Amino acid sequence: MTTNTKTATRTRIARVSSTPQASTTPSRRKKITLWASAGLGILVVWQVGFTLFAPAYIATPIGAILAIPTVFADPIFFPDVASTLGAVFEGLLIAIVAGTIIGLAMGRLPDVNRVLGMYVGAFYAIPLIAIVPLFTVWFGYTPQARLAMIVLEAVLPIIYNVAEGSRIVSATYLDVTRIHRVAWWRVWTGVVLPNALPYVLAGLDLAIGRALIGAVVAEFVTAIDGLGTYILFNVHSFHQNEAVIALIVVVIFALVIRALINLAVRRGLPWYQPVKEA
Amino acid sequence: MPTVTEVEPMIHVDHLGKQYGERTVFSDISFDVNPGEIVSIVGPSGCGKTTLLRCVVGLMKPSHGTVLVSGTPVVDPPEGVAMVFQHFGLFPWKTIAANVAYGLTAKGVSMKDAAPRVHELIKLVGLEGFEKSYPYQLSGGMQQRAGLARALAVEPGVLVMDEPFAALDAQTRDILQLELLRIWGTRSAAMMFVTHSIDEAVLMGDRIVILRGRPSSIFDIVDVGIPHPRGRETVDTDRFRTVRDYVWRAVMHDEADDTPLPTDADAVRIEPQSHRNMNGHDHG
Ligand SMILES: Nc1ncnc2c1ncn2[C@@H]1O[C@H](COP(=O)(O)OP(=O)(O)OP(=O)(O)O)[C@@H](O)[C@H]1O
Ligand SMILES: [Mg+2]
Repeated sequence: MTTNTKTATRTRIARVSSTPQASTTPSRRKKITLWASAGLGILVVWQVGFTLFAPAYIATPIGAILAIPTVFADPIFFPDVASTLGAVFEGLLIAIVAGTIIGLAMGRLPDVNRVLGMYVGAFYAIPLIAIVPLFTVWFGYTPQARLAMIVLEAVLPIIYNVAEGSRIVSATYLDVTRIHRVAWWRVWTGVVLPNALPYVLAGLDLAIGRALIGAVVAEFVTAIDGLGTYILFNVHSFHQNEAVIALIVVVIFALVIRALINLAVRRGLPWYQPVKEA
Repeated sequence: MPTVTEVEPMIHVDHLGKQYGERTVFSDISFDVNPGEIVSIVGPSGCGKTTLLRCVVGLMKPSHGTVLVSGTPVVDPPEGVAMVFQHFGLFPWKTIAANVAYGLTAKGVSMKDAAPRVHELIKLVGLEGFEKSYPYQLSGGMQQRAGLARALAVEPGVLVMDEPFAALDAQTRDILQLELLRIWGTRSAAMMFVTHSIDEAVLMGDRIVILRGRPSSIFDIVDVGIPHPRGRETVDTDRFRTVRDYVWRAVMHDEADDTPLPTDADAVRIEPQSHRNMNGHDHG
């Protein structure tokens, strides 16, 4: 997991620091061309193959595109989107705050780590889908069960990264605070927290995907209104193209959130630019 | 005013010893640093220079002995003590101005109220125009200038430096040594200066504490005896060469090695306890 954490941080630093010039280099253009043609190829194979060999209700790219007006005209589609994505957003916010606090405590206070470390590790290792039925018992078939699932999924990578990252606050930084007789709470807010920020972001990167999984799975099980339920309902009623559109909305949401975070980092954390190229 | 022989030392190190578990790093270390004096600490790598410095400023508890700063026993880092670190220790998320102001803002002074002094210090260390830069945008030498400004911002009576120039290239080091002497001339802090470089120890120090042995203890305390202000030409004086050669041999001199110390040793040796007139510098 340590390797994972570090990789996540490094990719983010690299991504944030890529300059406009870098994006037009030949190798970069080649990569984009390859990426686009691969995508196009998959779509063509999917379209041709499924048209020839699969029953008509199976989703195809053209079928999905044609389904867009139907989906957008569906009065329950946008409320469902809002319901799921609103819950994911809310869950991520809760997970960031809680995960950062718990992660900092685990990273800096050995006693807390001794008590919580094992549980965080265990929860991180098991498929959390197994917990959804339990949540439905505790929370009922309610949006609260979904929110709990989202928070649980999203909070773990944040805790893990922040704990890992704040464990290694430079001893010199702490010496600086001690020699200036800085109050303990200022050490936490002024040094430990900013030092952990890159790790919060790395954890958040992983958390976005997990939060969406949590939301959709919780909806599958609880059947509360939302994108997951929308997908399930349409698949079951032979409207696979409509389900694909809903799926694409989920993907776009994930990409938009990541882009927003990158933008926020670039604007709000200018010190977070340097790339340590080895 | 008391007579010069009764000047209260700013730092009084009394029979200091430190052990890590079974292993004794140093023992029985005693010396004073007077107000406005620079004492260089030299000794082989691993002899405990960093440990000694950290014990003096209260970042670490000694196993034996005591340290007094302005006559008060040191338990935690006392008020009026500042430190400059080998790897600068600037916070990467703060601008240079905010880093320099740290000792003030961390006590609740607003950035605005700290601004005049911050501006003055940034000017003093030659970093004008870089107030809004982040540490990564500065060279190592410039970062250490900021580190020095941060230390001076709290107007310390005691300033300790742990190999402050060791991470810099030789040229930058030469420049910063003289810069530090110039800046120190505008202050009156008692300074402890740990270094690996014997030349640097002689150039910077009014006295030099030589650590040696395993566990290490004070081998000798040398009176450099070169008046201030010092400059690049200082290293070309006979006195500089005499002191440097003595310190070099003292540091390198091995127990197994019978080479006698230089005959002119008496010219530079002093007894650790002897009184010195340390108010003799003129650096106005
Ligand atoms: N936390 C620690 N636990 C155990 N031993 C330590 C610890 N810190 C330092 N030591 C040991 O104490 C000795 C002195 O270390 P110190 O860093 O003070 O030496 P130094 O003179 O500053 O060395 P250098 O010139 O390389 O900076 C070393 O042998 C080191 O291994
Ligand atoms: Mg050291």
